[in-house]
Amino acid sequence: MVSAAESATLFQIAVEGVGLGALYALVAMGFALIYKVTGVLNFAQGQIALVGAYLIVLLGTGEAIDWLQVSAPVAVAAAVVVGIVLGILLERVVFRPFIGEPVLSVIIVTLALGGIFSGFVNFLFGQNFKGYPDALVLDWSVGLPLGASIPGSYAIAVLLSLVIVAALMLFFRYTVTGSILRAAASDEQAAMVLGVSIERTIAVAWALSITITTVGGMLLAMSSGGASVSIEDTGIIILAAVVFGGLDSIPGAFVGAIVVGLLRELGSYYFEGGTAIVAPVVDVQLNFGPGFGNILPLILLLVVIVVKPYGLFGTERIERL
Amino acid sequence: MTASETTETATREEPDRPVVELDNVEIVYDRHFLAVQGISMAVDEGDIVALLGPNGAGKSTVLKMISGIGRTERGEVTRGSVVYDGEDVTNDGANEMVDRGVTHILEGRRVFEDLTVEENLRCGLYRGGRRVRFDEDDYRIAFEYFPQLEEILDLKAGYASGGQQQMLVVARALIHRPRLLLLDEPSLGLAPKLVRDIFETLVEINREENITMMIADQNAKRTLETADYGYVMENGQVELHDPADVLVDREEIKEFYLGTSGDSSQYTDIRHYKIRKRWT
Ligand SMILES: Nc1ncnc2c1ncn2[C@@H]1O[C@H](COP(=O)(O)OP(=O)(O)OP(=O)(O)O)[C@@H](O)[C@H]1O
Ligand SMILES: [Mg+2]
Repeated sequence: MVSAAESATLFQIAVEGVGLGALYALVAMGFALIYKVTGVLNFAQGQIALVGAYLIVLLGTGEAIDWLQVSAPVAVAAAVVVGIVLGILLERVVFRPFIGEPVLSVIIVTLALGGIFSGFVNFLFGQNFKGYPDALVLDWSVGLPLGASIPGSYAIAVLLSLVIVAALMLFFRYTVTGSILRAAASDEQAAMVLGVSIERTIAVAWALSITITTVGGMLLAMSSGGASVSIEDTGIIILAAVVFGGLDSIPGAFVGAIVVGLLRELGSYYFEGGTAIVAPVVDVQLNFGPGFGNILPLILLLVVIVVKPYGLFGTERIERL
Repeated sequence: MTASETTETATREEPDRPVVELDNVEIVYDRHFLAVQGISMAVDEGDIVALLGPNGAGKSTVLKMISGIGRTERGEVTRGSVVYDGEDVTNDGANEMVDRGVTHILEGRRVFEDLTVEENLRCGLYRGGRRVRFDEDDYRIAFEYFPQLEEILDLKAGYASGGQQQMLVVARALIHRPRLLLLDEPSLGLAPKLVRDIFETLVEINREENITMMIADQNAKRTLETADYGYVMENGQVELHDPADVLVDREEIKEFYLGTSGDSSQYTDIRHYKIRKRWT
């Protein structure tokens, strides 16, 4: 049997897993949104989150360019605006010429873009951890039953990602622009001959996606007190989430991200050397060495691709664009 | 947007200027696949013009280059000109042509499957990215000719029957109040009774709403009965053209009724855009 203390620990770890998952969810939904509307698999999501994280360093601490420094709330607002502008700009300058081109060339473009972004961040800020302004380092946490608690940045992430997943679902379901986006996604040509401007719908999708992703990057950084280059790895981790959720499903990406967050936290706690005690239920000592929590989501990725290639919520279809 | 304003104000005097005129048009896909070679056509205001011919003749290609959607398939008019309402529109894009009042009903009844019937109709209210009108009145034109649709507004279009889907794509186009309606294979895969209904409704729409139409269809007999004028294409060329009632009596056409349609497989092979199965 599992003792009360053990189940309290399990609950605490699970809460942290959900919090982490909610952070991933923002980046994952950004990915699913673009794939759903434009058919582009954006492998630069991790780097876009990275840019989001360092935008706060740039604007909030005056690091790199000191005259840019503004107060923390202004920095956050400005970073969101930059996200929107970046989305529109990427669509205009980078992706529009590739409308109708083979999937592979677009994928390579996103990979190159990712390289450029992370190179640029490295150039400006170097490899070291950069702390966030004090106002954005949250030292509070929310108490939960069973003696558990959730750190402030996780709490915000959970709330924000819930709001965003709900808002996106309502947007796609009930607004006219939402129907048009779905129409364009399901049959681009049929939408075009009805007067739908594909360029415009694609621009809307990019703006939304990049904004959500940069916000995700900011919150990821907040959860560890500042920006670091490791945020880039989110791009790979969320692949597990979106594949699990079905690539083109926004709620699927959300659920997938929560699952991945849980896997990571539970995996690191119960399976890793050092912290590993006794796995609940199975009651054996498992010791996989550090880093095992990180690879669990990727194992999930492989399993899902083999077992259920369209994920849990995905539309079964052949790749388009 | 300015283009549409100029067309509307500047033209319209000469009554018998064709709505669309193709002059010696050559159409090439992917820069070197010659699909249509040197065809000329004219469609007069208020007419229904039939486009007939076997599979791969180039009927869809002609419609796609008039509506501009052919540009998204790497189609290009490489010689000759397309003139709409007195204005040279050769190789203009789909959005521009929609602005000018051209609506294309693509081959294969392409409803937006996971949208409801109403959401499908709503998409017809957009032009050049802007919502044009949006009130009950906009749908009335659709319900007037297809009252059945009003009963299935909340049904996912993917679940509607073949006949309902055909009504939906025509209704969706009507909401645009087009001046020129291009229809590609409206009768394909429908039961004979539905085919008759759809053609009757098209004639009614043509008369009542004064919408000029070009109809490409395999059902030569039915289409010619509906049309005022007809073109018969083969291998990317116009083989015959005459007023529909004259064309019906021509020997070559009688032969064509009997279904001597050429090799059909080559066409579906090349097609890379998703297109639904042609039988239902
Ligand atoms: N997107 C495309 N890319 C390349 N070639 C194409 C494309 N669409 C059509 N073709 C080719 O152009 C020629 C004319 O095709 P088109 O679709 O216009 O014929 P059609 O008369 O409409 O035939 P059907 O009765 O089968 O619809 C065919 O040889 C076809 O293979
Ligand atoms: Mg055709």
